[in-house]
Amino acid sequence: MKIIAFDAAAMATAVAAGEVSARELVDASLASIAVTNGQVNAFTETTQDRARAEADAVDAQRARGEVLGPLAGVPYAVKNLFEIKGLTTLAGSKVNQGLPAASADAMLITQMKTAGAVLVGALNMDEYAYGFTTENTHYGPCHNPHDLSRVAGGSSGGSGAAVAAGQVPVTLGSDTNGSIRVPSSLCGIWGLKPTFGRLSRRGTYPFVHSLDHLGPMASSLAGLGLAYDALQQPDPLDPGCHALRVQPVSPSLHRGTAGLRIGVLGGYFHDNAGPEARAAVALAGRTLDAQSDVTWPDAALARAAAFIITASEGGSLHLGDLRTRADDFEPLSVDRFIAGALQPVDWYLRAQRFRRVYRDKVNTLFQDWDVLLTPATPVSATVIGTEWLDINGVRQPCRAAMGLLTQPISFAGCPVVTAPMWPAGTGGLPIGVQIIAAPWREDLAFRVAQVLGDAGIAHVQPVTL
Amino acid sequence: MDNAKIAAYVDSTAAMLGLPLPPERAARVVAHLQRTAAMAALLDTAPLAPHDEPAEIYSPAAFLPLNDGRSQL
Repeated sequence: MKIIAFDAAAMATAVAAGEVSARELVDASLASIAVTNGQVNAFTETTQDRARAEADAVDAQRARGEVLGPLAGVPYAVKNLFEIKGLTTLAGSKVNQGLPAASADAMLITQMKTAGAVLVGALNMDEYAYGFTTENTHYGPCHNPHDLSRVAGGSSGGSGAAVAAGQVPVTLGSDTNGSIRVPSSLCGIWGLKPTFGRLSRRGTYPFVHSLDHLGPMASSLAGLGLAYDALQQPDPLDPGCHALRVQPVSPSLHRGTAGLRIGVLGGYFHDNAGPEARAAVALAGRTLDAQSDVTWPDAALARAAAFIITASEGGSLHLGDLRTRADDFEPLSVDRFIAGALQPVDWYLRAQRFRRVYRDKVNTLFQDWDVLLTPATPVSATVIGTEWLDINGVRQPCRAAMGLLTQPISFAGCPVVTAPMWPAGTGGLPIGVQIIAAPWREDLAFRVAQVLGDAGIAHVQPVTL
Repeated sequence: MDNAKIAAYVDSTAAMLGLPLPPERAARVVAHLQRTAAMAALLDTAPLAPHDEPAEIYSPAAFLPLNDGRSQL
């Protein structure tokens, strides 16, 4: 096989040109997983037969002279809360092992297949997506490819680690409070949490109906854009899918930032970022000639409201199993689920009423700005098992604190591209920067991300395992 | 809030929901709820008017466009 860059866009181009076959790419991906998964523990299952069949179908399509999809032959994998026909949807749990196999693929897997992508397996995650570190007691912790003693982030930790380890160039994850952006940050890859309601969630195991988003993660920004464009499809059968048409970002990726009003968030977002995270966003801000110290409204209140809604809906969703088999749950989150199920209803309703007021304030802010920047995590990846974190002199519970900077943004539903940056002082570990746009303006976040990539300050660094 | 009051609340609410709660687990749940109570107290400071509705997703049915036939009934 010729050497093809580890990039979905380059792979699809090479397959279309006949420089490499889809079968060669999928075999290379499966071989890489076989060699490195023992170290990173990103995959909980591989779908080898299906993957080879899908790859062969792409090669047959090309042999017939047909037009190939935009992701033809690109290997990818999904967080194991996506339904894969014939497999049980674990959602990181032991409890779900007793469920029947899925009878159909998730909507977004169907979209990827239509685009020619090749599914190679399912990925590790925090149980039921309730965590930011993928320290999964049932299936083992996911290890950060840049330092195997450290977490990969979560809850889509397998989705982050698989890309960073060079196993697949694209993965799909979910993000309720930061679960795409946190592992993207800690693993040093590109990630997209789209606008709430952009992509269909049909056929995935839910966590918090009011807050769940799905999205892609990738080894290149072009690959992230191709995957996102392929995933878009209005879906009237998902009550949370509000998009009425496809709005691709790839055609405008290189349009630049002339005329865009760009700012760096201060206040809460400065206070809760460690020195290296501040350095990363400052470099992005200087590169983009951004104005500093922009105030995001009610960030601390939004985090509190997101926390309460998450606990309440998550706890209620699993109450039946919590009654009968709580000991089968993840020890790191079961008590939080129970506490959430017991919360007074006034807390929940107040949080939902606040969310509407908050939405209006955030949308008003975007009348003055096109794109806003803040770090994705307060710090770089922590050592597995870390309980407490010091952020600028304030002691915080580590697993919850990883979401301090992401929760207020997803609570508003704004789209965010996470750009992988490499500040000094982390021992070579990455920290992502959130590129935030107004609802439905993913295109602006991608354009800004492209400028950071072109400047050479946001990029994926290959690892050798 | 007083820890004993939260513990009593946890016991009675868990009983109401039919959720068995051994003492060691109940103590951990109380600690979590204590932290969430601080967040709820913070959220209580956000001014909300009676007309500020929840941001829930609910629709009784898909929106019907004009000229859907119903007007001709």
